[in-house]
Amino acid sequence: MTALLDINGLTIDIDRDSGPARVVDGIDLSILEGESLGIVGESGCGKSLTMLSLVGLLPNRIRATGGTAHFAGRELLRLSPAELRKIRGAQIGFIFQDPMTSLNPVMRIGDQIAEALIYQTGLDKPAAMAKAGDLLELVGIPSPRERLMAYPHELSGGMRQRVMIAIGLAGSPRLLIADEPTTALDVTIQAQIVDLVRDLKDRLGMSVVWITHDLALIAGLADRIAVLYAGTVVEDAPVDLIFERPTHPYTRGLLASLPTLTDRPMSRLPSIGGTPPEPGRRPAGCPFAPRCTLAVAACQTEVPRLRPVAGSDPRHRAACFVTAKEGAAA
Amino acid sequence: MTAGPVITPTDDRPTSLWKDAWRRLRRNRLAVAGLAILMLLIFVAAFGPWLTPYDFLSQNLDARNLPPSLAHPFGTDDLGRDVLSRVIYGARTAFLVAVLVTAVALFIGVVLGAIAGFYGGRFDKALMWVTDMTMSVPQLLLVVVINASLKQPITLWMEARYMETMNPIYRNSAIIDFVLVFGSMALISWPPYARLVRAQVLSIRNRPYVTAARALGLTNRIILMRYILPNAVGPLIVAVSAGLGTAMVLESAFSFLGIGVNPPTPSWGNMISDGLRVWTNYPHLLLAPAAVLAIVTVAFNFLGDGLNDALNPKGQK
Amino acid sequence: MTAPLLSVRGLRKEFPVRLGAFGDRAATVHALDDLSLDIVEGETLSLVGESGCGKSTTGYCLLNIQRPSAGSVVYKGTDIARLDDEAMRPFRRDLQIVFQDPYSTLNPRMTIGEALSEPILFHGLAPKAALPERLRQLLADVGLSERFASRYPHELSGGQRQRVAIARALACQPRFIVCDEAISALDVSVQAQILNLLLDLQQKYRLTYLFIAHDLAVVRHISDRVGVMYLGRLAELAPAEALFARPLHPYTRALLSAVPTTDRRTATTRQRLQGEVPSPLAPPSGCRFHTRCPQARDICRTAVPALREVAPGHATACHAVTSPTATNWEETPA
Repeated sequence: MTALLDINGLTIDIDRDSGPARVVDGIDLSILEGESLGIVGESGCGKSLTMLSLVGLLPNRIRATGGTAHFAGRELLRLSPAELRKIRGAQIGFIFQDPMTSLNPVMRIGDQIAEALIYQTGLDKPAAMAKAGDLLELVGIPSPRERLMAYPHELSGGMRQRVMIAIGLAGSPRLLIADEPTTALDVTIQAQIVDLVRDLKDRLGMSVVWITHDLALIAGLADRIAVLYAGTVVEDAPVDLIFERPTHPYTRGLLASLPTLTDRPMSRLPSIGGTPPEPGRRPAGCPFAPRCTLAVAACQTEVPRLRPVAGSDPRHRAACFVTAKEGAAA
Repeated sequence: MTAGPVITPTDDRPTSLWKDAWRRLRRNRLAVAGLAILMLLIFVAAFGPWLTPYDFLSQNLDARNLPPSLAHPFGTDDLGRDVLSRVIYGARTAFLVAVLVTAVALFIGVVLGAIAGFYGGRFDKALMWVTDMTMSVPQLLLVVVINASLKQPITLWMEARYMETMNPIYRNSAIIDFVLVFGSMALISWPPYARLVRAQVLSIRNRPYVTAARALGLTNRIILMRYILPNAVGPLIVAVSAGLGTAMVLESAFSFLGIGVNPPTPSWGNMISDGLRVWTNYPHLLLAPAAVLAIVTVAFNFLGDGLNDALNPKGQK
Repeated sequence: MTAPLLSVRGLRKEFPVRLGAFGDRAATVHALDDLSLDIVEGETLSLVGESGCGKSTTGYCLLNIQRPSAGSVVYKGTDIARLDDEAMRPFRRDLQIVFQDPYSTLNPRMTIGEALSEPILFHGLAPKAALPERLRQLLADVGLSERFASRYPHELSGGQRQRVAIARALACQPRFIVCDEAISALDVSVQAQILNLLLDLQQKYRLTYLFIAHDLAVVRHISDRVGVMYLGRLAELAPAEALFARPLHPYTRALLSAVPTTDRRTATTRQRLQGEVPSPLAPPSGCRFHTRCPQARDICRTAVPALREVAPGHATACHAVTSPTATNWEETPA
């Protein structure tokens, strides 16, 4: 099956006064049609920037400097701004983190959804408003027709996020990218949104990329998980394997440091010492080596690439000299 | 017993917020140009009178109204005085007035604005009322009224003091003029600073580090002086640099109208006033002071804009 | 039975606000209503709940950073909720707080050393000569080298700044610290580090914590007792183990089942709570949870359920629950 999205060797730099600093250093990712991929990593690992670079939404002074990103047969990184604008929304939909600042506070939500529809599908205003009402119903907003007239501040956080999802779906995209959409929401609302997205993905046959720092959250949604660290993919596997057989030392450390409801209380959590490298200050060799308890000499000088984990599913890959060879036994 | 090994700082060069701001300012060419012109102004104001080839007062009736030449780069006026020397001396006047007025206005504004913003309540309401009142009256009118009403009492007071002390300083009428001009200009210039400081204090007052200071049990005075005001300085700097420019133009306007600095002391304002009467015949008499005033004002504005950008970087945490 | 460190009775907090485009309508935010609990010395009591439940407000009112509208907070025999700034000052040493956002919790214009020295000198806890040594010790307590003392906050990472905030609270040599979502804004791996730090410090200095959080897994890890709040009231208060093993209040059950888990089986078969949290501007009558409760009955709409102890140390405010195992009405689905 050919991949819907195939990213290879993507690099992104930040332009600083002192020169460019590499923040994403060679990302390889792919998504199939109808698959949902969870991208997990902490702040600064480049997960948001990677996805934003696909549709030309990188902030000022941040540029994609290398690699390729094929989407449905087109090379995204070489498209002009006009062509990218056509892809945004219609082929690739985006949902952002903070619904309050992502929605225009002085426009009614019906108008905001209709605007997306008119621009992407060329409907006229009345048809667009009708479709907007359908979309609100699809995302589970009660009394959708009345809600079309509401302003964002009249809605709660969870409702606004549903509106964001409706806007993201307006163009019937083949790929939906959700960038930490539930981080700002309460846990019960979060659970509702996760259910909603999973449900929509099944019904509409979209591919979904869900970016988060919360490994546990993604367990209920993703088919596959890619773990990012310091701008590279360190592990990439079907979701069950990430939890049953975490291979890369960072993945293992991350899972071990998560408090769960089944822990022994008052116990010390194992934590990964140290901090991730700053952009522009990457160590030679594996970026995780300074914090890794399994590091050997090769880790300090060579950068490990993703390779299949021995003894595991062929889709399970890890970027580690030590553990990928020995598989889960390391 | 600590939670793991002790963390050490990675970067050996601590940078301060001011150094970062300075770097950003340096990259803004217009702001640097503005700063250069300001430096030139300060230099000229300080050392100018010694640099001028001619005394700004000396008249040479054989060389009246001469156009610009090598001997007189800005020409001469109708009393044969060298215009360049007068412009240079005018810089001193302009600078002195601008700095003094702004300093006094700033002091009044910061004190009142900080108290109003921090304590709120009736004092705040009263202050805002006074501020609005002052700002709603046309500035020129206010200055004229203050000037006119205070001139007599101050003159009488000065005479009385002279009678008592026989100190010749009380005979100097130029001082009276200066004090009146400064005073009235300062009295109309403080409201914008008060408003700015008040707004800043109101917004900083609710920040977590201020609440933390309260939770530590620190007194209100310490909180105001060490936690709130130091963080309010940024926009204030921008306002001051723009305010200096405004004060200069204000002084020129008053001299132009005959209030304030009187002849023979040159000020750009009274030079413009004189030049306006004869500019069709002798344009250099108007253009020289006007151009210099315009350039200096624009320089202040560029500097102010540059400071604003330098102190409020985008995308900084 | 030793007297509790802090005794809270009937705490209530209302905020007047102005609504409407021109601020023409007056309204009240009912942030806290009739909160009562005791905090025992040396324990970690956690308050959990979702937005608008009043847990942060509780922390602020306990410390008199915000004046409660009604109720009492008794510490060392004095009702500190009634005190003015001047009278409150001597108590501030003992009762400290660590805030949520590490990026705004430190004065950007003061070095770390100055920020930490301020409370020490102000409360006269050490002479000036002893300051460098005291600073070194404080920084070491939170796992930072003394070289940080000359740095400014913007040179530190989020986790490092939060450590400094903890050091600042420790500088007063307090007995009680409110951790107001102190780790929520940090990266996951840093959260574990700071959590461990808090546990270590508690042991070393015999501190009492009020831990305010929304992440139940974290709360499970650090608490002796847990209080679940909903719209300004306590729904359940119990020892941590009892709360997680046998949650009684319907809201607690829903909250627990909404927590993401890495266990794939339970991840897809959970109990879902419908609807949204009502606004604290117009909280529902009677039991404030009745609009979303799967077990709501007529009485729930009219009568406020009192917080009743149904098992030793385990109290819940629900008309349906009369004992740990039986309810008034039909069996609750697990």
